[in-house]
Amino acid sequence: MFLINCPYCGERDQHEFKAGGEAHIERPKQPTELSDDEWAEYLFMRKNIKGVQFERWNHAHGCRKWFNMVRDTSNDEIKLIYKMGEKPPSE
Amino acid sequence: MLNYNNVLKDELNHNGLSIREISPVMKLNLRGKRREFFTTVGKNLNMLLPTEANTSSVSDKLTSIWLSPDEWMIVSNETVQKDSNRYELEESLYNNISKTNLGAVTDVTDQFVLLELKGENIFELFASGSPFNFNEFREKKGSATQTLLNNIDVIIHHKDKNLISLFVRRSFSQHLCSWINDSASRL
Repeated sequence: MFLINCPYCGERDQHEFKAGGEAHIERPKQPTELSDDEWAEYLFMRKNIKGVQFERWNHAHGCRKWFNMVRDTSNDEIKLIYKMGEKPPSE
Repeated sequence: MLNYNNVLKDELNHNGLSIREISPVMKLNLRGKRREFFTTVGKNLNMLLPTEANTSSVSDKLTSIWLSPDEWMIVSNETVQKDSNRYELEESLYNNISKTNLGAVTDVTDQFVLLELKGENIFELFASGSPFNFNEFREKKGSATQTLLNNIDVIIHHKDKNLISLFVRRSFSQHLCSWINDSASRL
């Protein structure tokens, strides 16, 4: 169990949130020009690394807003939380 | 208010804690973020919407509860007529906000059930079923939050000392009341 600092509501329990997968995956500008492999790469392939990862989270049982989180997946340490649309910090 | 059965027929009393349903009460959901939205709502409601997180504001007739940076719930302080589902305020907000594309107005009167909890050990009851930290919340009159209670989404409004308004979706209300009844009896 860990606490997440929602950028809108403040510190809340993890149970109020839903993880929304890897953040900052850009939709291809011309999807029709992609090969099947490239499309599958965009759609399905995720880094899923052990270590610091950029993720999207949703405060599902609170304000229902999405935000970004930088989290160490090996120990659940939250490095940074920032709003949607804000630029990610340089790795 | 449509012809719904009350969730609680009688007031529940356990260990100095009383729970009763208050109905019918008008509840409106407001969404919007532009400056014109705030000024128009302010003129229609005769009150300012709270912009600080987890707070509420109260006037003679209405209470507005912060739900998210662009979402509020407006609740009438008094009960309304049971035989009608039309409210003057909703109509004027709809005409001035929804129709002018400043935001959205949704009538959630029948969607949410309002329970009033009274007593000294309300927060002990909440602590037995909610992951929310009520330490600051219980000290501050007017604070409001959306959280989980027995894994059910609820809106909790700290109306006054030892007085809480709890909003729960109608389909979950029976289940929540059963849990409250059981949990309060063990406090």
